[in-house]
Amino acid sequence: MIKAIGNSFFIAGRYLLYHKGRSLILIIALAIILFVPVFLNIIVSQSRKQLSSRADDTPLILGAPGSSLDLAMSNLYFVAKQPASITYQDAIDIEQSGLATAIPLHTGFRVGDFRIVGTTLDYFEHRQLNIKDGRLMAMLGEAVVGASAARRLNCSAGDSLVSTPENFIDIAGQYPLKMKVTGVLAATGTADDEAVFVDLRTSWVIAGLGHGHQDLSKNKDPSITLKSDDKNTVTANAKLITYIEITAKNLASFHFHGDDSGFPISSAILVPKDEKSKALLLGRYQNPSQSQTRQLIRPPLIMQELIDAIFRIKTVLDVVVIVVAISTALTILLVFILSLRLRARELTTIFRLGCGRLTTAGFVIAELFLIAAASLILAALLITLTNHWGHTLLIQMLQER
Amino acid sequence: MKRLHSICWAIAALSLLISCDSESEKPASPPAAESKVFVSNYPLAYFARRLSADPGQIYLPEINGDPAFWQPTAEDISTVQQCNPLILNGATYEKWLNTVTVPRRRIVDTSSSFQDQWINIENEVTHQHGPKGPHSHNGIVFTTWLDLSQAARQAQSLADALGEKNPLTNSDLPNQLKNLISDLDGLNAALKKLTNNKPQLQLVASHPVYQYFARAYNLDIQAVLWEPDVYPEEQQWTELEKILTTHPAQWMIWEGPPLEKSVQRLKKMGLGSVVFDPCANQPDSGDFLSIMQQNIKNLRPVFAQ
Repeated sequence: MIKAIGNSFFIAGRYLLYHKGRSLILIIALAIILFVPVFLNIIVSQSRKQLSSRADDTPLILGAPGSSLDLAMSNLYFVAKQPASITYQDAIDIEQSGLATAIPLHTGFRVGDFRIVGTTLDYFEHRQLNIKDGRLMAMLGEAVVGASAARRLNCSAGDSLVSTPENFIDIAGQYPLKMKVTGVLAATGTADDEAVFVDLRTSWVIAGLGHGHQDLSKNKDPSITLKSDDKNTVTANAKLITYIEITAKNLASFHFHGDDSGFPISSAILVPKDEKSKALLLGRYQNPSQSQTRQLIRPPLIMQELIDAIFRIKTVLDVVVIVVAISTALTILLVFILSLRLRARELTTIFRLGCGRLTTAGFVIAELFLIAAASLILAALLITLTNHWGHTLLIQMLQER
Repeated sequence: MKRLHSICWAIAALSLLISCDSESEKPASPPAAESKVFVSNYPLAYFARRLSADPGQIYLPEINGDPAFWQPTAEDISTVQQCNPLILNGATYEKWLNTVTVPRRRIVDTSSSFQDQWINIENEVTHQHGPKGPHSHNGIVFTTWLDLSQAARQAQSLADALGEKNPLTNSDLPNQLKNLISDLDGLNAALKKLTNNKPQLQLVASHPVYQYFARAYNLDIQAVLWEPDVYPEEQQWTELEKILTTHPAQWMIWEGPPLEKSVQRLKKMGLGSVVFDPCANQPDSGDFLSIMQQNIKNLRPVFAQ
């Protein structure tokens, strides 16, 4: 009996190998039917996990009024659509209130496809980010790169990155800043892998709020000076050399114009001291006078709304997948029945050679079994790949290119 | 059959490789516990050492010159990043702070409690470039501890910070603070008593660092920009003469021992020389208390009846 089954599988295997093209098409079609519903489930569940875990680690976000989803996505995933700015003073006010720790973020600039995130060292502590290679930024103009960004930018500690100008046509706009990479972060499987981190003040330098230039009091070139009055005011023209790289030599010449409390930040992560502080903060920003100029959002709630929307879409997709699966299964069945008709002469020859009807049926069943098994293996492989790379794919999908 | 066998192995190996999760490394352990206490100048280091159970844990970097103009390296800042708390003088003393990345939440500004009493310097060089408005680098006077009553308030802030944030703090902190404040009050009283002999006495300072000192002890001080170890250029002597026409001082206060040549020329102009060391950096010998006591002793001839 076992020998007979073995023989059936041998004949079926040889047959499938002889008709490689047809067998492959059947295997792929069946694998797709098996894979697509599971793929959707994996992606949706990873989306939920990804969206909710990062949001759960971010109790509150303070930002400018507008779309709360845009604010959350900008703060959590550094997506390109930038919300209106608030000021650094907003973060200082929160800190001084003693209700929460405020972690400011400035996400207005890029290095190629990757966001430059200007922040404080508190961000690294809050997100539990660790350095894999090198050290944290220590001086103005230094950068720490996320694991994935480092790999794709092909940079490591000691290399340099140049910020991408926002507008190539605006010749009077901000200068690109050459930043020294001091470290690469360990991979976390989050949006932090796709970012370039700098000190908040470095992002203000990129924004043109701070700069370094040659010392005007020591200038001996009269063509640089537009005017100089008795009040020790020296006005220079565009010939004045403004540094585009911060080095140990020119670091001391870097300065900021104005009070930094009025400088812009994109948003701030607030980590309340306790539930009572959280309630007090939420109450404060629901006040009509505050809510017109600032908004305080709860990312877990915003993300839950997004997850609910994803699930509603998934329900529709499930129905589509079921219909497509039934249709494909019927097509495969039809292909199989038609192939049996085409093989009528071959099957008659097998019968005339002395094989019983049961043995002949055994060949066909073995063929079906082998195709199903190959499809299952292929689907399992695809599912494993999705499990492994799904979150990376999601993060990349979330980052606007 | 052999080919099928190979394919099965390849599939198994691939599955094994994929199951090894290389992308999402778990975060490593949190940063090492911060134990050292960073202080940005010597007066704060002296206060902190007197208040701390373990003076060895007080970290004042080795700085050549005035700590206000420290130019730290990345390695220095990496060390500072490990400290908690970071005790700063404040009043814009730490000029380097704007160009470094330090954990700002750990910063304790010891002079913020009397921010409304900070003195602002004006008429410094202003410059302008491009179409934007002019800006200057005028600033706040930062030698806050030269008013010893302010120094006592800074010591109080420092003690609060040590008590709240640092495990080094011993149970004897209130007593240590009481003793320190008592010493500072003693110096303050001695200076007040001395300077009361000649209120609003006109003096010239070799450097513009004595503004809080002048205000606290009711003195009228005008400053030049001289260094004790550098003989002034003729133009600087001319500037001094110009000052003396409207500000007839008889003494010049120096930050450190001046050159004998400078002392002699000042003497010819009718100006005596006296050293009042602000003691911003670690002294070669003695400590903050003994240096201040010596400063008071140095001032006695100036206020002698």
